[in-house]
Amino acid sequence: MTWLTWRQFRAQAVAAAAALAAFAVLLAVTGPHLASLYAASGITGCHSGSCGQLASTFLSQVAATSIDPAVYLLGIAGVVLAPAVIGIFWGAPLIAREFEAGTFRLAWTQSITRARWLAVKLGLTGLAALAVTEALSLIQAWWAAPIGQAARLATDSNFPLGMSPFSLLAFDAHGITPLGYAAFAFTLGVTTGVFLRRAIPAMALTLVIFAAVQVAIPLWIRPHLFPPDHTTATLSSFTALQTRIGPNGAFAFAVQFLPTQPGAWILSSGAVNAAGQLVSTSPAACKSLALSSSPTWTQCLASHGIRIGVTYQPTSRYWAIQGTETAIYVALALALAGYCFWRLGLRRLS
Amino acid sequence: MTAVLEARGLGKRYRRLWALADCTLSIPAGHVVGLVGPNGAGKTTLLNLAAGLLAPTTGTIEVLGGPPPASPVQLARVGFLAQDAPVYAGLPVADHLRLGAHLNPAWDEELARGRIDRLDLDPGQKAGKLSGGQRAQLALTLAVAKRPELLLLDEPVASLDPLARREFLQDLMEAVAEQGLSVVLSSHLVADLERVCDYLIVLVGSRVRVAGPVEELLATHHLLSGPRRDPATLPAGQQVISASHTDRQTTLLVRTSDKVLDPAWMVSEVGLEDLVLAYMSQAAGRSRRNHLEVQK
Repeated sequence: MTWLTWRQFRAQAVAAAAALAAFAVLLAVTGPHLASLYAASGITGCHSGSCGQLASTFLSQVAATSIDPAVYLLGIAGVVLAPAVIGIFWGAPLIAREFEAGTFRLAWTQSITRARWLAVKLGLTGLAALAVTEALSLIQAWWAAPIGQAARLATDSNFPLGMSPFSLLAFDAHGITPLGYAAFAFTLGVTTGVFLRRAIPAMALTLVIFAAVQVAIPLWIRPHLFPPDHTTATLSSFTALQTRIGPNGAFAFAVQFLPTQPGAWILSSGAVNAAGQLVSTSPAACKSLALSSSPTWTQCLASHGIRIGVTYQPTSRYWAIQGTETAIYVALALALAGYCFWRLGLRRLS
Repeated sequence: MTAVLEARGLGKRYRRLWALADCTLSIPAGHVVGLVGPNGAGKTTLLNLAAGLLAPTTGTIEVLGGPPPASPVQLARVGFLAQDAPVYAGLPVADHLRLGAHLNPAWDEELARGRIDRLDLDPGQKAGKLSGGQRAQLALTLAVAKRPELLLLDEPVASLDPLARREFLQDLMEAVAEQGLSVVLSSHLVADLERVCDYLIVLVGSRVRVAGPVEELLATHHLLSGPRRDPATLPAGQQVISASHTDRQTTLLVRTSDKVLDPAWMVSEVGLEDLVLAYMSQAAGRSRRNHLEVQK
């Protein structure tokens, strides 16, 4: 069965290897330039006081090059899209094509049970899916390591690509989550193929479901996997305070970056009073001073006890969140695989 | 005589439609059995149930004395050629043989290679580029070279032209003679089966209308023609299968194990095709009558 699985998978494997090689060459060619930029930045061996500034300078330099931001985004896109592509082009047709061509009748009447047939097909192709995705992720992580290092040190988020380790795409592309996505996308494709028994509709359904899950989990599940932390800080501790001023003293503050917790994932932020409650209108004494760039206004607010409250996930939870999310995807993948075995075992197929 | 296939009250329903209902039959070993019936009689469903591709909704089916193949050991004992002879279009002929060798412990490589050579199939040719006849031959090679005890063939010649049909069946007979297989092959055309089968089962509307060795069937069925008369007046041992009347003449197909002695009849032999058609139209007539009775 191993031989047949490999024989049927060979062309796809070769295509994947070619894509992987092209990806590796692109990053290998552009990587040294980024590394030399990092070496020249002086971040290595910096003293605690100067590190943040050096890191910010380095990130600005990277952003100013013509090619690095493009390669960075391309690399991230490659890692993030790989599971979807695998689910659609490897997963969905895996069993559906056998139904379409009627060849399941040939395969299932050889001297091998269909459970074993499915196990080998799922196992080998699934392992290849994991390997390809993780290889892409590792190559991209190697290339982007200087950017990641600098992003953890930088004292503000001026880098146009805004990369905290928790940034939507960066979190998806690094660590172990790509493995979870690949396992889920692949088994999702197989399952839709088993369910619909037609490759093209199964591919479309796989794309729709996978995209929906990939939007839903980061937006609504990931922030709540662990109870977030809260903190408050003075207005003056933020260099980049986003301000909105409305009529009748209404105002709102937002921050993207917590100086005491570089790299933390900001879930929400806003102005709070001394009691820690959210404030949306200026104290009467400050109303007349309301101008976004006016230091007297913010000083006035500060003197009335107004601070910035931030809800966030600290970087120390990075691996816990990565692990939990990956576990969720792997559990989904196992459940789908179980469904496939159950469904094929029913012998309702003809 | 042991049965290679035994069904009791066997039924298979797809959603609300019964493809096979309350089917009871027994197929003895050591024969080339023709399973004949009109389209929709349940032949394909029966063979898929026997091959273990389907699970019955009702009743039981036993193949070679056990449940239909679910274990590797049982699977190895039954060769199956599905309708339209599915093969992997993207894989060359040679890879199909490797597939067979990898997936069947009792694989007979010599037999498989010999057949491919004899049939003039190019091992490097993609299976998708083969003609219908060649594809059927390739699929049959896979089914035969796994060295089964029972070979199930579902409409193996339906898509072949007359010449390919003849070659395929001839080739099948050689394989059967060499290996001493039991074979069940289905068709809705009696002419295809006449040459190769020594046992016949007529299946209409899930029911076995007649079953038996071909020689015995031919010996016990007679075509009687004579002056017009009521079939009810025949002796007790003579079962009327079909009757047709003109103003003066009556023609009957009767089944009887005794000789027909009445001098009023002109007795003639009946061909297999006429025999099968008589049973099919008998069943069709009966179901029409039932239908009318229900409507009343």
